[in-house]
Amino acid sequence: MRNKAVWLRAAAGLSVAALVLSACSQKENTGTGGNEGGEEQAKPSSGWEETPDIEIQEGKQGGTFRLGITEPTAIDPYNAQESEGILVSQQLFTGLIKVDPDGEPLPGVADKWENNEDCTEWTFDLKTGTKFHNGEEVNAEAFKRGWERVAAKKSASEVAYHLAGIEGFDQMQAGTAKALSGVDASDPAKLVVKLTEPNCEFFLRTNHPVYSPVPTTAGDPATNTAFVESPIGNGPFMMDGKWEHDRGIKLKRFDDYGAGDPAYLDTVEITITANGNQDEYAGFENGTFDWARMPVPVLSQARSTYLDQDKWITRNTNGMNYLLVMVTKKPTDSVEARKAISMAINRDEIINSIFQGSQTPATSFVPPVFEDAFQADVCDACEFNLDEAKKLAEEAGLTEGTALTMQFNVDAGHDEWMAAVKDQLETNLGLKISMTSVPFPDLLDNERQPDAAGLYRSAWGADYPTPENFLTPLLSTTAIGAGPTEPATGDNKGRYSNTKFDDLLAEAKSNPDEAERTRLYQEAEKIAIGDDLALIPLWNRTQHRLVNSEKFINARMDFNENPDLSVISVK
Amino acid sequence: MTTTPEPDLSMPAQAVLVEPPDSSTPEAPTLQDPHKKRSQFADIWRRFRRNKLAMGGMVVVAIMVVLAILQPLISPFDPYDQNLLNTLQPPDADHWFGTDILGRDLFSGMLYGLKLALIVGVSTMLGSMIIGTTLGAIAGYRGRFSDGLIMRTTDIFLAFPALIGAILIVRTFGSGVAPVAIALIVLGWPTAARLMRGQMLSLRESEYVEAARSIGASDTRIVMRHILPNAIQPVFIYSFTSIGVAVVAMASLAYLGVGVPPDTPEWGRLINQGIEQVQVPGKDFLWMFPSGAICLTTLSFAFVADGLRDALDPKLR
Amino acid sequence: MGKFVIRRLAQAIMVVIAATLLLFIGLFVLGDPFASTGDKVVPPETQEILREKFGLDQSLPMQYLTYLGNLFTGDLGIDFNQRREVSSMIGDALPATARLALVAIIIDVFIGVVAGIVAAIFRYSFWDVLVTILTTLAIGIPTFVIGIWLRQTVSGVWIFPGVPRSFTEVVPWYQEVLLPAFTLAIVDAAFIARLMRGSMLEVLRTDYIRTARAKGLGERTVILKHAFRNSIIPVVTYVGISIGILMGGALITETLFQYNGVGFLLVKSIGQNNNPVIMAIVTFAVLIYVLLSMVVDILYAYLDPRIRLS
Repeated sequence: MRNKAVWLRAAAGLSVAALVLSACSQKENTGTGGNEGGEEQAKPSSGWEETPDIEIQEGKQGGTFRLGITEPTAIDPYNAQESEGILVSQQLFTGLIKVDPDGEPLPGVADKWENNEDCTEWTFDLKTGTKFHNGEEVNAEAFKRGWERVAAKKSASEVAYHLAGIEGFDQMQAGTAKALSGVDASDPAKLVVKLTEPNCEFFLRTNHPVYSPVPTTAGDPATNTAFVESPIGNGPFMMDGKWEHDRGIKLKRFDDYGAGDPAYLDTVEITITANGNQDEYAGFENGTFDWARMPVPVLSQARSTYLDQDKWITRNTNGMNYLLVMVTKKPTDSVEARKAISMAINRDEIINSIFQGSQTPATSFVPPVFEDAFQADVCDACEFNLDEAKKLAEEAGLTEGTALTMQFNVDAGHDEWMAAVKDQLETNLGLKISMTSVPFPDLLDNERQPDAAGLYRSAWGADYPTPENFLTPLLSTTAIGAGPTEPATGDNKGRYSNTKFDDLLAEAKSNPDEAERTRLYQEAEKIAIGDDLALIPLWNRTQHRLVNSEKFINARMDFNENPDLSVISVK
Repeated sequence: MTTTPEPDLSMPAQAVLVEPPDSSTPEAPTLQDPHKKRSQFADIWRRFRRNKLAMGGMVVVAIMVVLAILQPLISPFDPYDQNLLNTLQPPDADHWFGTDILGRDLFSGMLYGLKLALIVGVSTMLGSMIIGTTLGAIAGYRGRFSDGLIMRTTDIFLAFPALIGAILIVRTFGSGVAPVAIALIVLGWPTAARLMRGQMLSLRESEYVEAARSIGASDTRIVMRHILPNAIQPVFIYSFTSIGVAVVAMASLAYLGVGVPPDTPEWGRLINQGIEQVQVPGKDFLWMFPSGAICLTTLSFAFVADGLRDALDPKLR
Repeated sequence: MGKFVIRRLAQAIMVVIAATLLLFIGLFVLGDPFASTGDKVVPPETQEILREKFGLDQSLPMQYLTYLGNLFTGDLGIDFNQRREVSSMIGDALPATARLALVAIIIDVFIGVVAGIVAAIFRYSFWDVLVTILTTLAIGIPTFVIGIWLRQTVSGVWIFPGVPRSFTEVVPWYQEVLLPAFTLAIVDAAFIARLMRGSMLEVLRTDYIRTARAKGLGERTVILKHAFRNSIIPVVTYVGISIGILMGGALITETLFQYNGVGFLLVKSIGQNNNPVIMAIVTFAVLIYVLLSMVVDILYAYLDPRIRLS
């Protein structure tokens, strides 16, 4: 007994001693054990290419399409917000226009639209005879009703701001008006909209579900919860039963769909999963779902399995991932400093190791999904260049040991890559970085403060299919919304301000010629990103999906990254 | 409605709502004969040593403590050192436990996590014991108003679902190791207080206390010299288990996303990160190693506590 | 006795008020629930409107009093996120948690009692050792680790429903509840087994059991009629307590299995800053706990005069 104890202790002591001796000096962590199966890693990749666009073929009626989403905040257009809610809302309702997967506008309920000379008045000619799911007529009054339902202060819609700019909106939000004075629905086949200031791209906004028409049965969303739970719309699909919270939503085809071609699918089964991407992927693999998103860790194995089976979709979509920079505060208040930081970040390395190559490094701020406005190399500082970075850092006074703060939002999967960026900047530029992660509302709050400094993780998805929605809200002076000693109220929290930039955007807003507007956006981007690097673009928003192409044709992603349910069909 | 603090091995759940049974009767003689004291300890130690599980637990605890103290010296890699070219590798000669998603050595990370776990565990134990026993003793001895006040205060803390309390505290103080320890202390002291109070209640009515009072001994003297040494026993035993409980609680909080900053290699966080990789075949080691570590820690402390209880139990003498 | 009850009642009410007040202040300190969340950007004007709608523009004391007032009329308000009635949200989730707790208890009592009896009767045998080892492991391994492991290995196998599945495939509740119930039950079963074993061993040593045997009663009668009935008492006490712990304590398990009970609802609501739901659930939990605690105290005081006279 005594000996045993002695033995035990000796053994313990020896093992500790062994550890100490074997690891006395800490080793350098520089193995290249090679990653999984050693496929396409280690060499700089430019991300996975987009899969070719799907040809839309003639389909046939029938079939059930199944997918999984997380519980939406709302499916009623008055408050539908995130992509899940918008998915359902856009199948239940059709607005004035639709957009194709590339963001190009198509007729919806309106088959023509015209603006007046200075783009302050818009006239939409509506198709006649189209109906709601309950048989009611869809006319100009239905649109006015829907918009007022959103704008009413009592409704407290979180997405009402999309209607800003329509005459009467501010009064409705303040509770002083009960109607939108700028919307004229006296002619049932014509909707006339007056704006408070020129906007030559107003029609693009009407694609958002918030602009949907509603039947007379809709009522006040605060009291008529039956409608909110089970909306009656005019879209290609209608509710089959009610919304079973945390369980699922069932849709069935609306045979009298008037604002376009009727859908092919009989039903759509939308299961509500709690675990998001992990569940969708597992569900796709076990045959439960016909469409799925994937969690980042499984992307490359999923791609190698499904790409050859034609079940894989990759698309660059309407968004950009970047670092928000406080351009008026040290140490990032000079162009040289910002470019030095940007060039010291090896985007390829992070993409390959943490994202398994599934993202595409950004070379611009306006994403490539806007084919006309996209400028492939406008961001010259987005390319990794250590020598140039060090040079610029010296010029900027960004010496070794300079303090820099970085912040991001917790529990959104950003921990790893932000840590990687921090590590790169510390190693490559010798900066002393303090990084914190906070809940998202705190992050936004911190960004607004007048004394905010350093870098903040950000992403932006445009609400409307136009580059303007990237440039103005994030970089124009008015989008700061406050003086230098007050918290910023707009989305330009970095407080970039350049009058030339502002002028170009103002000009574009009142220019009815699309090509001219595109040119102006490009010039503006050259200034803000090319010259001044007001934000540090990291990688494009790229989305990957799995689809059961064995059973279905026409299964493509729409502009909002959702399956384009109205054209999907069984084989 | 406590969630995380799991009942200890010896007294399942009783400490929560019910006063623990009077498992250790107070000894009759109270004269502190120094010779007797020394041989008392030798006695206890001898009994403890006979218990193989307890000894095993103690050895493991000892090894862990040594490892944690020596961590900066013996860690093969810097636990924060990233290597983006070598991520998610299974265990090999260089990296005994493999690497995580940033290519950091998992073994070094777990060593660091061990240090954190022990620091938080011990400080939580000390904090809750000190606060808990003091308040519990006052409540038990004085009775009436202080008792009511203190007991109702413990009620407030015990009634709160532990998760909410922890989140509120951590969010108020910011993320980090200290707020987690504070949160666990705040959630843990009521149990210690109740334990102590129960002991107090039964011991203060005993005859020798009456005797001491009758010869004019002051309250403090009575408490300190006569009651406390006996009352402290079950609390002392419980404190060992509570270290394991604190480690589990910290890991559970980290699993739910509350607690230390995200890139800290704390065991709960490591499990959380490992779970994200769970659909990729061959990556189970990422969550299994930290889970195993938590188990080992909890069990070791529990065995020691068990052994102590058996060794101190007069009935078995 | 009456005075004691009244005193205790008054204290209980104070605890509830203190706890809910603490929570209220804590949630307030935690921040603005209408600030932007996730990828959602909420403009300040909209935040104003939202705050007015939900009454957050009033002073804190006013808000608290309004809340208490509504509580008395049973109005739990509408949630910040989807604007559903909180009472219906909890009403949907509560039965699920109740079922979970019920099934968990049935499982753990059954397993625990049987294991404990077997270990006691066949002391020092293989079974005894097995039970001891298993119970030790079960207690040492944190619940969420057990849950994770079960979820990985056992979902979709045999009677355990596959995850995920289409919501149109109706899985009966007793199947859905199995895995989370098992996870919850394992630790409790281990405690019960140990408790049962210890209690049984003690009872088996007592005089009256010896007498029963001496009287010539068959071993089976001895155990089932006499020993069992007496040794089960501490287990019953324990089970009474653990019901409460299970009800409120299934937070991690429900979250692990995405089981739509009250615990999962609470965790989700915390993440969304969905204060009305958090307030309602926590108030509920506090009430239940305080009530139970008070009842137990009164019972003890009734049984032990020393306590009530203190």
